[in-house]
Amino acid sequence: MSGTKTVALTIDGRAVTAPEGANILRAAEQAGIDIPHFCYHPAFAAEGNCRMCLVEIEGLPKLELACSTPVREGLVVRTATPRVEQARRDVLEFLLADHPLDCPVCDKAGECQLQDHYDRYGRFPGRFVEAKQKKDKLVRIGRGLVLDRERCILCARCVRFLRNVTGTGELGVFERGARAEIGIFEDVPVDNAYAGNLVDICPVGAITAEDFRFQTRAWFLARKPSVCPLCSRGCAIVVESVTGYPLPEAKRRVYRVTAGQNPAVNGYWICDLGRAGRHDIDEGRPAGLLRKGVAVDGEPWQKALAEVTAAIKAVPGSDRPARIAVVLNARLTCEELARAKALFVTGLGLDRISFADRTPGTADGLLVTAERVPNSRGAFAAGFDPRLPTIEELTGATVLLVFGSGLAAHFSEEALGRALAAVPSKFLFAAHAGPLDRLFDLAFPLAVPAEKSGTYINVGGVRQSFERALSPPAGAVPEGEILTCLAHGLGLNLGDFDVC
Amino acid sequence: MINAWKVLREIARGAAITSRHFFVNMTFHTLRLFGVKTKRRGAVTIQYPEVRKELSPRHRSLHRLRPREDGRPSCVACMLCVTVCPSECITVEAAEDPDPEVQKAPTRFIVDLSRCCFCGFCVEACPVDAIRMDTGEIRLAATERSALERPLDKP
Repeated sequence: MSGTKTVALTIDGRAVTAPEGANILRAAEQAGIDIPHFCYHPAFAAEGNCRMCLVEIEGLPKLELACSTPVREGLVVRTATPRVEQARRDVLEFLLADHPLDCPVCDKAGECQLQDHYDRYGRFPGRFVEAKQKKDKLVRIGRGLVLDRERCILCARCVRFLRNVTGTGELGVFERGARAEIGIFEDVPVDNAYAGNLVDICPVGAITAEDFRFQTRAWFLARKPSVCPLCSRGCAIVVESVTGYPLPEAKRRVYRVTAGQNPAVNGYWICDLGRAGRHDIDEGRPAGLLRKGVAVDGEPWQKALAEVTAAIKAVPGSDRPARIAVVLNARLTCEELARAKALFVTGLGLDRISFADRTPGTADGLLVTAERVPNSRGAFAAGFDPRLPTIEELTGATVLLVFGSGLAAHFSEEALGRALAAVPSKFLFAAHAGPLDRLFDLAFPLAVPAEKSGTYINVGGVRQSFERALSPPAGAVPEGEILTCLAHGLGLNLGDFDVC
Repeated sequence: MINAWKVLREIARGAAITSRHFFVNMTFHTLRLFGVKTKRRGAVTIQYPEVRKELSPRHRSLHRLRPREDGRPSCVACMLCVTVCPSECITVEAAEDPDPEVQKAPTRFIVDLSRCCFCGFCVEACPVDAIRMDTGEIRLAATERSALERPLDKP
């Protein structure tokens, strides 16, 4: 924020500078002072309907809303006076007067702002003796979302999200006063590719997702940031998984993928495709090493990799460019691509290197791009020319190394079967089980992007490094490790330690 | 060399203690037989398992799920017992309940008795008083591990 003017103000006796036009709530947040709020969201203009962010401003007779009051030079703000604290308690008491005691069965419990604020700023005994209002508790509003009107505190974040971000405006506030409720218009359900964000922005458990509903509790989840690998936008995501107790019998490690924050890429949102990325992490993973599509028990991948090295070594050096073909993919991280370049191009002198990825989809103008791979910019940056292999190129090889199952999206199974029948040594490295498995001599299980660390370059050229969000299932390894071990087996030093 | 004299002395001391218990108990049992009321009573052996001692009202034994009026468990699958359990022995899987007032009900509720330490934290934590440890069932041994995984939601 270099060009903008800043103003100096005092919050709780602390000197704070904030850009002109910012509100007090943001200025305080940046100075590390928490002002509780429900309806304010940094992505939207302040609406000021929850009244939770009241603060005292010197010289003004009444308490003011921190979310809608812009900062001014010399403003003296107090956020922790008895008057402010009493106001917060009063707001909470009104909200809780009509809030059901659902916490034991509410999915939001544990990450609910109403719970957190009551715990921190409320702690009063309930005085409300009248019967609480009965409202609909299970309203399906579309896109796998469930609305509970009793829990709703009418902050209207969902309404504003659908109006301002997606522009679809499926939700509105109906009726008035105590009968006011969120609802869809007539019978038109919420139907846009960003509806999953409503669950994230709802400060209470009013909107929940059927996919996550009742599956586990929020406090069992380990939240680790990662980068979404499902399109070239590379949105920041949070992978929420349960890896220890209480792991149910059903093999669901990742309970949900939620939006991370990255102002340079996705802001606060991710699309529903990215949320469905949890299936990509947990489902269709091979149980272990496959030999001609049949699982081999107990064979370590390092031992099997020696066969790959032997097959490559069997080809004389001068024949290698013509007889060894490699198919990579743009799900590999920049580090892995650089390693592949050093191994296959510099080290072995190969030129039959092609890329096979999933077929492009359509861009939606908001976040989703047409390219459904995360790192095609990275492939260019590493010096590769990402082009699809031809069938002849595959057939003509003596040794074929295929990374990823992208080939299945471009060629029919029969065509591939016929082409690969002529190849003496063929090896597949894939994170997901698929029709390709039985066509190859050996299929090595790989880690998915959430299970490795690395760097992706997104469609806008933003380099994003990410750490491993969860550990891969037993036997699955990242491509980088495979490449390093291959290089060591072939006696080529890539500058890594020998991990094999 | 082992001091044989010391060994013999210890054996004699042990025999003396055992016989003291025998004679003291016999004295009190004999006095009672003749109707003499004494403050102390002779020791009594309960012939377990033919004879059972009554359990204390605040004992902790095998868990049960309290049923609702219609017979289904009153558990709402909030998983607070799972959270609080120090020996990590409770498995709960939840699903949508057809009754919107109930909302959430367990489809599986399993206590692994091979891990349970009978601390009763689950009973304390339950917000709807669904789990109790008052069945009086304390003979929980089994010949297979799988028999120790008790599903509580099935009657």
